[in-house]
Amino acid sequence: MKNKLVNILVPLVSILLAFIIGCVVMAVLGANPFVALQSLFIGAFGNARNLGTTLARSTPLIFTGLCACFAYRCGVFNLGGEGQFIMGSIVCCYIATQSGVEGFPAIILCLAAGALAGGLWAAIPGFLKIYRGQNEMIISIMLNYVATLLMGVVYTNWLRDGTVPQTAAVPDATKLSRLFGLRVTSAFVLALVTGLLIYYFLFHTAKGFQLRAVGLNMTAARFNGFSVKRYILMSFLVSGAIAGLGGSAELMGTQFYLINGFAVGYGFDGVAMALIGQLHPLATILVAIFFAALRVGSTTMQAATGVPTSVSDIIQALVIVFTVAGLAMVKLPRFKAAVARMSARKEAA
Amino acid sequence: MEEFLRMEHVSKRFGDFYANKDINLTVCKGEVLTLLGENGAGKSTLMNVLIGLYQPTEGEIFLNGQKVRIDSPAQAVKLGIGMVHQHFMLVEAMTVFENIILGDRNTKGIFIDREARKKEIQELSAKYGLDVELDKPITEIAVGAQQRVEILKALYRGAELLVLDEPSAALTDMEVEGLFKIMRKLTEEGKSVIFISHKMREVMHISDRITILRAGEVVTTLRRDETDGQELANLMIGRELTPSQYAKVEQPGAPVIELKNVDYQKTSKHNGLSGVSLTVGRGEIVGIAGVDGNGQSQLAQVVTGVLTPEAGTVDMKGSQVAQFTPNGFILENVSHIPEDRNKMGLIGEMSVKDNIVLKSTDTPAFSSGKGFILKKRAIRDYALKMQEKYDIRCASIEQEARNLSGGNQQKVILARELENSPDLLVAVHPTRGLDIGATRFIHDTMIEARDRGCGVLLVSADFDEILEVSDRIIVMFEGQVMGVYPGKNPPIEEISLAMAGK
Amino acid sequence: MDASFFSNLILASIRMATPLIFLSLAELYSQRAGLVHIGLEGLAAIGSLTGFLVSLITGSPLLGVAAGAAVGILVNMIYAYATIHLCAEQIVYGMAINIFAPALAAFIYRVYFGAGSELVQVGLMTTLSGMLGISSDNFLVRLLLDQTPMVYLAYGLVIFTAIYFNKTKSGLNYKAVGEYPKAAATLGINVVGVKYVASVICGALAGIGGAFLVTCYSTTYTDGNVAGRGFIALAAVIFGRWSAGGVLLACLFFGFCDAVQIRLQVGSYGIPYQFFQMIPYIATVLVLAVVGAKKAGPKGVGKPYLREER
Repeated sequence: MKNKLVNILVPLVSILLAFIIGCVVMAVLGANPFVALQSLFIGAFGNARNLGTTLARSTPLIFTGLCACFAYRCGVFNLGGEGQFIMGSIVCCYIATQSGVEGFPAIILCLAAGALAGGLWAAIPGFLKIYRGQNEMIISIMLNYVATLLMGVVYTNWLRDGTVPQTAAVPDATKLSRLFGLRVTSAFVLALVTGLLIYYFLFHTAKGFQLRAVGLNMTAARFNGFSVKRYILMSFLVSGAIAGLGGSAELMGTQFYLINGFAVGYGFDGVAMALIGQLHPLATILVAIFFAALRVGSTTMQAATGVPTSVSDIIQALVIVFTVAGLAMVKLPRFKAAVARMSARKEAA
Repeated sequence: MEEFLRMEHVSKRFGDFYANKDINLTVCKGEVLTLLGENGAGKSTLMNVLIGLYQPTEGEIFLNGQKVRIDSPAQAVKLGIGMVHQHFMLVEAMTVFENIILGDRNTKGIFIDREARKKEIQELSAKYGLDVELDKPITEIAVGAQQRVEILKALYRGAELLVLDEPSAALTDMEVEGLFKIMRKLTEEGKSVIFISHKMREVMHISDRITILRAGEVVTTLRRDETDGQELANLMIGRELTPSQYAKVEQPGAPVIELKNVDYQKTSKHNGLSGVSLTVGRGEIVGIAGVDGNGQSQLAQVVTGVLTPEAGTVDMKGSQVAQFTPNGFILENVSHIPEDRNKMGLIGEMSVKDNIVLKSTDTPAFSSGKGFILKKRAIRDYALKMQEKYDIRCASIEQEARNLSGGNQQKVILARELENSPDLLVAVHPTRGLDIGATRFIHDTMIEARDRGCGVLLVSADFDEILEVSDRIIVMFEGQVMGVYPGKNPPIEEISLAMAGK
Repeated sequence: MDASFFSNLILASIRMATPLIFLSLAELYSQRAGLVHIGLEGLAAIGSLTGFLVSLITGSPLLGVAAGAAVGILVNMIYAYATIHLCAEQIVYGMAINIFAPALAAFIYRVYFGAGSELVQVGLMTTLSGMLGISSDNFLVRLLLDQTPMVYLAYGLVIFTAIYFNKTKSGLNYKAVGEYPKAAATLGINVVGVKYVASVICGALAGIGGAFLVTCYSTTYTDGNVAGRGFIALAAVIFGRWSAGGVLLACLFFGFCDAVQIRLQVGSYGIPYQFFQMIPYIATVLVLAVVGAKKAGPKGVGKPYLREER
């Protein structure tokens, strides 16, 4: 129980600290932090339209966050969420604009193919880790750049539509439907369902249980008869598939065509969200919505106070810096001893 | 002879547990003092106090009659105390020469003056017969040579007293001879040596005096020429035969597992097996006795499918094992209490409940639909039942397993491994570090399993434990079976000597 | 393809290898003290931004590089404190730096230049031949003299590092900290101190590597201009087997890949240029796959060092 409390407290305190520093920065820039925060909040949640935008913005982040979350649960550091996301969207773009299939069948086909593409892209670092003992982090990051460049080929060359370097848009019939007429689409629902499924898998099935055991202690997992290699490969495939699914959904839901700058930073954002959410899928979703709210709200804030939107990036970055350090700190024996002493003193008094 | 080191009334307490209690010992210049004692008798703690890794709870240390405070290993080095650890403190990626001069503060200049330093080292090595190849990387020289590097390292820093912690443990017979020559050379030059060992033959060969430790206290100190191996063995183990409280089985059932001439890393005496043949029958406890690091870990891992033997055969319930995987052995109903419960036995960050059902979440009892739906309630009820049955003391079964005491952690493993009535139980140091109550409980549980018809292979460095519960006793030494003895009326003297390699 | 094609290729390789050398040496110094650092990409980004701003304000690229180094050290102290004192996982904290430092850089850029800024450019560092007033098409003259001071610094640092780790007492002690900190501590080596020194060096070199990109390579700063070099540097250290000479060769190889892709882009040959841009990244993956998992790195890397207390 105490542990769970600390696990929630550390990110909350980190968020608070990050906002305090953010406020100081705003004040230094000559804005009133309270006005700024207020406009930030209104911009993100103030009315249905803004909320819809925030949720739409959070959708791709949820997918890459879940991708990172699933892989780390098995002790695998997949930093390639962005590349896997992009591969999913490339395949989706092809099917949506080239196959001639439209509407619901196309949507299903695109989602499946996107997931498959992401999974296969993640299988490369997976195989290299298992069979060549190679560092999955560097390889998955390198493949991010390759995927980004490949997407560049697609929108400047192979599927270029007109003079501007971008592809044709997904046909209207294949676009994901909006919810309540807001910007948020059924992709968000898909993201939530994916998160719930992962949560269910990790905490309510035997395989998920074993996967977590492998992630926490590979030696003990091996001694207790689990096939460690199989789980590692599976975690790559599934986490890649989640990202690929997200790429597909993002293309059909929000972005509609591939263009320069698509998905930039989503991979590392996903890593940050999973770490702040402490590898809990549902917490990761909350963090993703929080990140999206910061981004959406910061536009309103900029208009109202002149504080640049990138303040929100700083706040996000500080949250991750504080959370990771905080989680390490509370695990220190020194810290535990101090807490024990304090509670003992309280009891004595 | 002139006294060099004197420890007076030294105690070291961890919590309520005295690892050392009121220790008095002296070491003179030019003598070899042996510290003799079983695993856990407090030798390592005492030496860690001496080299400044631990601060004594009570007591004083004198060097050359002067009271000293040793608060760091670096300080011990400065005072002329050098320690050769059982696990060498050598940087493998570096050469012999680099290891010896590492951390050197006595010479001036930024650059390493190879020629000058080498000359100094060569003089030292010639003086004490410490023959080493200075330019070879550590990984390319034999263990015996690595040990000589450690000794040179200490001498290069001006050590007057050398502590050798089980120095012969990893050496071949030839190398041991060499080591003894070096030790004699050292004492001839007026240096002192503290020698830690279990091997009676060696102790009788090299010591001047022998201090025997048992349960953290000094039993006595004897001159080598006034004693013999048998007396030392008796004093070390500290008991005549006390009848075991458990009835012994003399006629075991059909064999559960049978090893024939099993080899694993045969050339390694301390991490290998060489031609091991043994059988565990149904309804008997076979105790593997021996000092730690004589191949017991490897034996346990072969009979649980973690390691694949390099030669020989293993028959499981009459049919030969073709593939060695932990899962294959689990399916054959083999249970394992591994030697390192935190590393191998438990998922520390998972709850007590999860660890109890770790192996069986995909069985119909705990999940339905081929593992697709975990029956959380069933798991919880089962874990609660196990908590009561095995007397696991924890705040809640949701508590993380790593936060439990050692005894309760072990009970979690017992609950997991014994509850589904295994055919074979492999228990490695099952009571290491546990208090009397927990130890007793674990022994009772093993006996119960035996009486249900389970074959038990018990590996333990605790001789008491072996005598207490074993129906047959097998002694291992340097990867080989030294002898098989009955558990009823065991010939203790013979076994003690076999454990010491005689 | 004539002779000038190849001589240009070699010259470009040397230039492209230089930022990688700084970053790889940063990684080498960090890992030699037992700290694996995957946050160099972020350190280089903030170093790059700082270098750009300072050289813009002062007009001195050299001051820009110095400032980049200083800020690199500053940011890396966060990493050092978290991993050395708080025992945070090095990999995880490296990622945190990768997220934090670029965000900080982007923020400062926006604040300084405002939202809809036009492209700001700075002057690049003069080459040695430029300072001496020599201009020649001779290959050797161009190779040896037509380079910025940073290139000489990089190659000088490689030599210095090789000597330091192989010939000096201090270098030997430094290596022992990364290999076997417990043994180092018993010999009176200040393990924590060495780790901090390593973090200072690492931060400075990574900052310089980033600043190089805006003082010697490109006249302007853009977000993401480090373009994965921080991660390629990690691969270069593995490929170079943790030695200064090996790292130099690895960097020259990756620099060559970069030079080739730029050359090929110019030629185009009807192939989308992005395929050429992939070359350094794919080369990195292939190199790692071929090199395999022979663990030659410092043995203590990645493990927190806790002084023994009981």
